[in-house]
Amino acid sequence: MGYRVAVDIGGTFTDFVLADVTNKTTTTGKVLTTPGNAAQGVMEGMRQMIADANSVDFFVHGTTVGLNAFLERKGARVLLVMTQGVSDSYTIARGDRKTLYRVQYRKPERLVPRRDVLEVRERLRWDGSVLTPLHEEDFTPIIEKIRAEGIQSVAVCFIHAYVNPVHELRAREILKAALGDSISVTLSHEISREWREYERASSAIMNAYIAPIVERYLQSLEKELAGFGTQTPVHVMQSSGGVIRAKTAREQPVHTLLSGPVGGAIGCAALSKATGRKDMIGVDMGGTSFDMCLIIDGKPGVSNETEQQGLPLLLPLVEIHTIGAGGGSLAWLEAGALRVGPQSAGAVPGPACYGRGGTQPTVTDANLFLGRIGTDARLGGWMQLDYDAAGRAIHSVATQLNLSDIEFAEGMLSVINAKMADAIRTITIQVGIDPRDISMVAYGGAGSMHAVWLARELGIKEIIVPWSPGTFSAWGMLQTDIRRDLTSNFFHRAVDTTSEMIQSVFNRLVEEGSALIREEDVADEDIYFAMSADIRYIGQEYVVTIPIHAPYDIAEIDRNFHVAYKIRYGHSTPGAPLEFVNLRLTAFGRLDSEIMGFQPNADAGDPVKGVREVYFDGVKMQTTILNRDAMPIDTHYEGPLIIDEQSATTVVPPGYVVHVDPLGNVIITRNQS
Amino acid sequence: MTTQIDPVTTEIIRNAFISIAQDMNATLIRSAYSPIIYEGKDCSVALLDNHGNVLGQSLGLPLFLGNLQVCVQLTAELYGWDHFRPGDVFLMNDSYMTGTHLNDITVFAPIYWHDKLVGFSASRAHWLDVGAKDAGGPMDSSEIYQEGMRWPPTRIYENDKPREDIIELLRRNGRFAFLAIGDMNAQVAAGRTGEARYRGILDRFGYDTVMAARDEIFRQSEQLEREAVRAIPDGVYHAEGYIDNDGLGNQPVPVKMTVTVSGETMEIDLDGSSKQTRGPVNCGFAQTISAARVAFKLLVNPSRSVDGGTFKTLTIKAPEGSIFRAQEPAACQWYFTPLGLLIDLFVTAMTPAMPEKVAAAHYGDSMVIFLAGVDPRSSLPYLAVEPTPGGWGAYHNGDGQDALINNVNGAFKDLPIEVYESKFPVMIHNYHIRTDSGGAGEFRGGCGLVREYTVGPDSYLSLWFDRSVTPAWGLYGGGSGQGPDVQVLVPEKDEQHLLKVNVKPIPAGTVVRTHTGGGGGYGNPFMRDPERVRMDVLDGYVSREAARSHYGVVLTDELRVDAAATKQLRAQ
Repeated sequence: MGYRVAVDIGGTFTDFVLADVTNKTTTTGKVLTTPGNAAQGVMEGMRQMIADANSVDFFVHGTTVGLNAFLERKGARVLLVMTQGVSDSYTIARGDRKTLYRVQYRKPERLVPRRDVLEVRERLRWDGSVLTPLHEEDFTPIIEKIRAEGIQSVAVCFIHAYVNPVHELRAREILKAALGDSISVTLSHEISREWREYERASSAIMNAYIAPIVERYLQSLEKELAGFGTQTPVHVMQSSGGVIRAKTAREQPVHTLLSGPVGGAIGCAALSKATGRKDMIGVDMGGTSFDMCLIIDGKPGVSNETEQQGLPLLLPLVEIHTIGAGGGSLAWLEAGALRVGPQSAGAVPGPACYGRGGTQPTVTDANLFLGRIGTDARLGGWMQLDYDAAGRAIHSVATQLNLSDIEFAEGMLSVINAKMADAIRTITIQVGIDPRDISMVAYGGAGSMHAVWLARELGIKEIIVPWSPGTFSAWGMLQTDIRRDLTSNFFHRAVDTTSEMIQSVFNRLVEEGSALIREEDVADEDIYFAMSADIRYIGQEYVVTIPIHAPYDIAEIDRNFHVAYKIRYGHSTPGAPLEFVNLRLTAFGRLDSEIMGFQPNADAGDPVKGVREVYFDGVKMQTTILNRDAMPIDTHYEGPLIIDEQSATTVVPPGYVVHVDPLGNVIITRNQS
Repeated sequence: MTTQIDPVTTEIIRNAFISIAQDMNATLIRSAYSPIIYEGKDCSVALLDNHGNVLGQSLGLPLFLGNLQVCVQLTAELYGWDHFRPGDVFLMNDSYMTGTHLNDITVFAPIYWHDKLVGFSASRAHWLDVGAKDAGGPMDSSEIYQEGMRWPPTRIYENDKPREDIIELLRRNGRFAFLAIGDMNAQVAAGRTGEARYRGILDRFGYDTVMAARDEIFRQSEQLEREAVRAIPDGVYHAEGYIDNDGLGNQPVPVKMTVTVSGETMEIDLDGSSKQTRGPVNCGFAQTISAARVAFKLLVNPSRSVDGGTFKTLTIKAPEGSIFRAQEPAACQWYFTPLGLLIDLFVTAMTPAMPEKVAAAHYGDSMVIFLAGVDPRSSLPYLAVEPTPGGWGAYHNGDGQDALINNVNGAFKDLPIEVYESKFPVMIHNYHIRTDSGGAGEFRGGCGLVREYTVGPDSYLSLWFDRSVTPAWGLYGGGSGQGPDVQVLVPEKDEQHLLKVNVKPIPAGTVVRTHTGGGGGYGNPFMRDPERVRMDVLDGYVSREAARSHYGVVLTDELRVDAAATKQLRAQ
């Protein structure tokens, strides 16, 4: 028995979490991210934290290599091949405007220019039957172009291939036969088995665009780890919340694209299980954005579609909602009114207190000015904070509003907190959840600085600050299973559907899913499945995905749909005709992911580090500063408090109490006495 | 009534109003039954105060901007403010009150807090069918009575309970009644979302504080707008154009506009525009006000949210009995065609005053096609209605966009071919950019597109394509975009070119190939960088021939710029 290791590469830091399976302890660490070749930073951390490379039993990795290639538009040149006559579906991009009042509107910048979109003759009908067979000779000029121009990556998207992939599969054979393994070929139906050709093409292109980069990176990492002596295969976090082996990730790297913030959501789900709290909201506040995730009945929401920079992706992904609010959010004036965000000071110049030339007050400046961050804090571990610069920035705006500096600083925080609370209201109301009934998990650098105020606005009774909130996402990666998602188009009216029809589709999907999970070296007894169906009222477009299970009783599915619909939308129409759109199977491979609590550091000494003056509601209060590392399990403290630790600061105002639970989590509740 | 309000509380309440409107909109779109709402986003919602002033409005369909309050206010004018009772929900669609066509159904409900009327939720959504003489609505109506059922403000809920008799009346007076009632329920649900969140704000801050914040929010909006209008040079600006006809084959219909900017105020006067027509291109004044506000908002503080302080600097005039202020029984089905033109004309009129903010004209109208018949797969009737994207105008430092939905439409998305063919017995074999349709210019107008339908069974075709008389014009020497064109290819018959037609029978196998127009160019095309012209040729937006004839750019057979020949040609 050895270590289970999670490594999460962020913009600034690469986070490490080590679970020691023998001694049942967990430790964390951080190194600077190495932007050129992220594997370097990973290896540096591994060498620092692990003495015996052989003791690593499990290695999981969250990577932003693919996402960065996309955001910086440094992916591979991709050729798109589509059905003759309709290949401009990609260029037209459905013709919508995402900003309504702009005569100088520009569409989102696509990854493939029109000149790299090529056509072949072939056509399927809506039911998958062949209208025009694939004209194989049409690939000849395409192959010539690929050779002549040194293109590495091709995406193929044929109309109705989600029903019948026969032509797409043949297209790959033709391309591979002519070009060998040097060419990366992405087929749209393998990325998504859903209708809508623009969205499917866009998803396939994204895969093709990042494939060569992710491939190179994972190869280099595997080589380095092998050189270090680690025997265990590399696992990669997917946007869906499950992990896969690196060799699978290389085939469909698009599934790793948005894995970054997913670890936090999985961590929340794990906390939900470990602490017996069914519903939770996770909040992660960083420098520029505020991420939220909902855990309902122990599970994070998984949606099947998203947009990145205006480009659609049909992928299973853990639902993370983001608004532009963070430590860098700027306060500004307009028509004599106060606004906070969404503009951000970014990294440069950053908040005024960074001393890099910023003069407008940010949320971080307000927190520092009010004493909620100590001047001795090293934000991100290295930044020396300039209290006077924060004060000057705040004073310059406060006077224009005839507010005292303290009123203004607290007012800024009130505005940004209310915005974040509104965003939480939006996501909870939309799924019929009352926030008052759930617990809040606060993580990330600034989440636990604001959490109590968010909870207060929303009537949330309890806040959980996990151990080492700054590395919580990496910790979450250790708590998940192998996961593959399979979809089958199943476009049938409910009245025409029988249990047997559903069963036969799932028989096929279970077989395919089992094979995929076995490829990940999972034993048969550790394979398990979840089935669900996309259903809607006939005539609607949006579906509601509901869990279903054998023996797939249609009447029961019907009833459950109306209930789920009513929860989601506040009304339903029992008796109205339904139709199925897709059947979905999620295949899991169970990993040993026992949760091990954190133990305070016995050598850390007295948890009380000192006392500082901190403002709460305009009142200056003597506030105890605690060292998180030294807070023993099952102890209690009374606010006002500031809890410091390496990666985060937790602010507990008066009227709230803190309890350290057996897992090492800090639980904040309203003082009842 | 002089509750003091601090800037922090005001800003919290302002953000909450915006957030409430967004939540209402999300509820409506996600639970609507008709594609025209959930895909076309042909809807709008607002939270109003107890006098009908806008507290928050979602930016849904632009054409519904700022005219939901009018429904509440006109209802109160008709019956008095004491007409409203807790648990009421109202529905109305009278074109002369709401301004738009009868398909646009407004649902609104009073909101009470501690037994006090504190505001209204309101939404408007396009219903697929409201029982006009032709499915979906006619292209050739001459009186409003042909365009469907017409509802004055009518209670559909009383004491929080649906009035089954009224709902049954709705159900019996339209095709696709199931969709209509589903959409109505979605509108009611959106209202409930707004009600619950608004009450939450009142619980937290109290009525007096919320009202004081409202006053301050309105003041801020008004001040910002006054500042923006003051920055526009004073002057009198003109523009005029034509829509092709009124749908009944009559002469082009003129639209004239005079914009007067004076200090902090702006007036848009439509004097000189056509008298109301026999064909269905008329609208109620409420809708003209809305369209003028859309035009205004395109150029003045476009990214700011709308509330009761917005548009106070703007006055709008239209002659009584004109297409912009029509009276019973004027037909209103295609009310938006002159309004889209009005918006283009406003932008053009303001060009001398703000040349860097404007753009050349866009392709101009929704370009709507209806296909209807019986789907042999289900033996049920089908009705496919869709607008079509086209080219937008170029501007001082950028090309117009290709294939983008028109200005009066919202966040419309085209129906994917895979969805279209699964839902309707029609195939789409061609969907592509219309090469050379964008107006030439130093900055090129966007291209329109070609979308081609092949009907499976015998079907009916209706078309509403406009703006061929004044296709998208250019600015500062930029060329015009091409106008629209629709080819109808009946098997073994001569090709027909049509732009407007009502319920034309077409036999199985007929091909309908629609072409939408391009946008206008900006600046002299000979000033365009030859390399950009070459890229346009490689991308197929511009043909090699047009590169030469319109841009004076000569390309070699390898599609490289022939610099010498280009220089020579451009010098001629």
